[in-house]
Amino acid sequence: MNRRTASSRRAALLVLPALLPTVLVLGAGLGAAVIQSLGLLPLVGKPELSSAAYRALVVDDVLTGLGVSVAIAAASTSLALLVGATAAVLVQRSRIGGLAAVAAAVVPIPHLVGAATVGLLLADSGLVARLVGAQPGTFPALVGGPWWVAVVLELAWKESAFVAVVVLSSLATTERDLDEAAAGLGAGPWQRLRRVTLPLAAPALVVSGTISFAYVVGSYEVAWLLGRTYPEPLAVLAFRLFSDTDLTMRPQALAVAVLTVAVAAGALVAGAALLRRVAVLR
Amino acid sequence: MRRTTTRRTRARALGTLATAAAVALSACAAPVSNRTGTADDGYASWEDVAADARGQEVSLWMWGGDEKGNAYVDDVLAPAAADQGVTLRRVPVADTADALNRVVSELQAGQDSDGAVDLVWVNGENFRTGQQAGAWECGWTDLLPNSAYLDPTDPLLAEDFGTPVEGCESPWHKAQFALAYDAADVQHPPTSLTELFDWARAHPGRFTYPAPPDFTGSAFLRQSLYEVTGGPEQVPAGPDDDGAAGATSALWAELADLEPSLWRGGDTYPRDAAALDDLFAGDQVDFTMTYGPATLDARVADGTFPETTRVLTLDDGTLGNASFLAIPANAAHQAGAMVVADLALAPEQQLAKADPAVWGQYPVLELDRVPDDLAEQFADLAPSTVVPPFDELSRGADPELSADWVAPLERGWRDNVLTGQR
Repeated sequence: MNRRTASSRRAALLVLPALLPTVLVLGAGLGAAVIQSLGLLPLVGKPELSSAAYRALVVDDVLTGLGVSVAIAAASTSLALLVGATAAVLVQRSRIGGLAAVAAAVVPIPHLVGAATVGLLLADSGLVARLVGAQPGTFPALVGGPWWVAVVLELAWKESAFVAVVVLSSLATTERDLDEAAAGLGAGPWQRLRRVTLPLAAPALVVSGTISFAYVVGSYEVAWLLGRTYPEPLAVLAFRLFSDTDLTMRPQALAVAVLTVAVAAGALVAGAALLRRVAVLR
Repeated sequence: MRRTTTRRTRARALGTLATAAAVALSACAAPVSNRTGTADDGYASWEDVAADARGQEVSLWMWGGDEKGNAYVDDVLAPAAADQGVTLRRVPVADTADALNRVVSELQAGQDSDGAVDLVWVNGENFRTGQQAGAWECGWTDLLPNSAYLDPTDPLLAEDFGTPVEGCESPWHKAQFALAYDAADVQHPPTSLTELFDWARAHPGRFTYPAPPDFTGSAFLRQSLYEVTGGPEQVPAGPDDDGAAGATSALWAELADLEPSLWRGGDTYPRDAAALDDLFAGDQVDFTMTYGPATLDARVADGTFPETTRVLTLDDGTLGNASFLAIPANAAHQAGAMVVADLALAPEQQLAKADPAVWGQYPVLELDRVPDDLAEQFADLAPSTVVPPFDELSRGADPELSADWVAPLERGWRDNVLTGQR
């Protein structure tokens, strides 16, 4: 009992150097956003505590923005989980080290670079359109189209690599032994996948999926580069208001940013709850 | 050049606020009104100015993000100033508002002379804000001998984004909004925006414009507003004036009616001018537009744009603006600053910086007033099949609308054209 408290206290101490800067940076940024959105740090005029910025938001813009943000995050995260988990299991089963290296190499590529690349590939006059010899105006509207295809593909591609790396590392230690034991007891490949591999990977899937969802809700550059003028996701809406020549719009921009954080935080809480259930199953 | 204009404008938008706050404060702190008006140093003749200027070191505060501009000032303008006994020191700033902030702060602190800033490259909002704060020395530009090469009736030089210049700043460069088209696809180029809109309706999907608040898209809105109202004089001075609502509703009706004929059926718009350029380069549309047509040659030369790219000359002219050199009211070296501002207007200097290889800034001079041999050199400057000479490009140039219009137009477009029909 005593030893346990001591070791958990030591663990907390070890985490502190990483935790402290994160909390400070995040706290300062979030705090400034909340304060500005409440009118306490106006660029013009007198500071005054009010919810005016929130009330002044165009409800339609925020609701459609929320819908678009959540839809993009849900679609790209689902796709990323599917592709990432499949890739991880394939790597684990086939023991092909190269595939794991590919996934690990994709993770550090910035989304901005990824989005620019996907744009060059899928735009109306992009590489694919040229390869298939599409006439102007006939190539499907993948970039800037009604279904946000290029945006979802880019996010799914990048996030699937992240999912694959996280899942692989969760399987790496124990999965092989258990898998071999199950095989020795006569379990077929499908049974082993369902009874051994997936339950072992589930917590990693929940964690990486949650992080990916929250990230996508807050991401700006991919939707800006590959998306459309209207409707716009919350992050794009926030930045447009932020850079408005009318400086009195600044509190509204921060209000949208705070709402975006709330959505992402909600996703994290839901993910944590789900993780608890999955971990219990294990 | 286009990026320069865009960045300067954005910087202007972002930087104005701190200045505005400082102005508000200074307005309470000190009677600033007596600082505007005529030069209190009262130079009566250019000889006095030139004599006083000798030996002075002039600090020119300018946006430092343009390598070519920096090189021109250091390598061409500064040596010429040295010949007149004036040392020109370039102070690069990230944002023109920084220079204005410095001046306003000094004035606010009661420092009415011996200020750190002698000369500022400025236009639009920063000039207006400085004018409100009484930060500029006025009434000195007529003294400059080289101002004889300017056209006194040029509307671009009389007003700076709607603020009367009134001898408080001296012209330096011009910029011109232009549309470009692919001559291989457009056999009979339109000669007005109305004809362009008709062309777009006859060729669905081959025209579009960047979504405002993009800088270029926003300029296109103002150009279209001139077209539907019948010209700059028909547009009310401010967005809240009588007749403004009628003017804008005509604009929204025209653009909303045009929307189904645009690229992608108007379902979406290029996010910015760069995206429109990409569409033009990829032959998805037949028109693009820019506030810096001098860049078009290079883009044709490097193969980005088709060789058949041509600038569209509109009968009624297009939007243009000028940027200026202003002397702060508390400048330590006003005489030296006036010598530099005069030198900047000299035909040789304007010619040198008009060369795209040096800087590529359009001259502010009226070429009819320039000595013939120099005028010829302006005409010979980088002869281009893409961009017509500046005098042709700028014929009948429309002055910019007041800066007050920009935000309401951008918002109005969003509400009435972009989301209105959904």
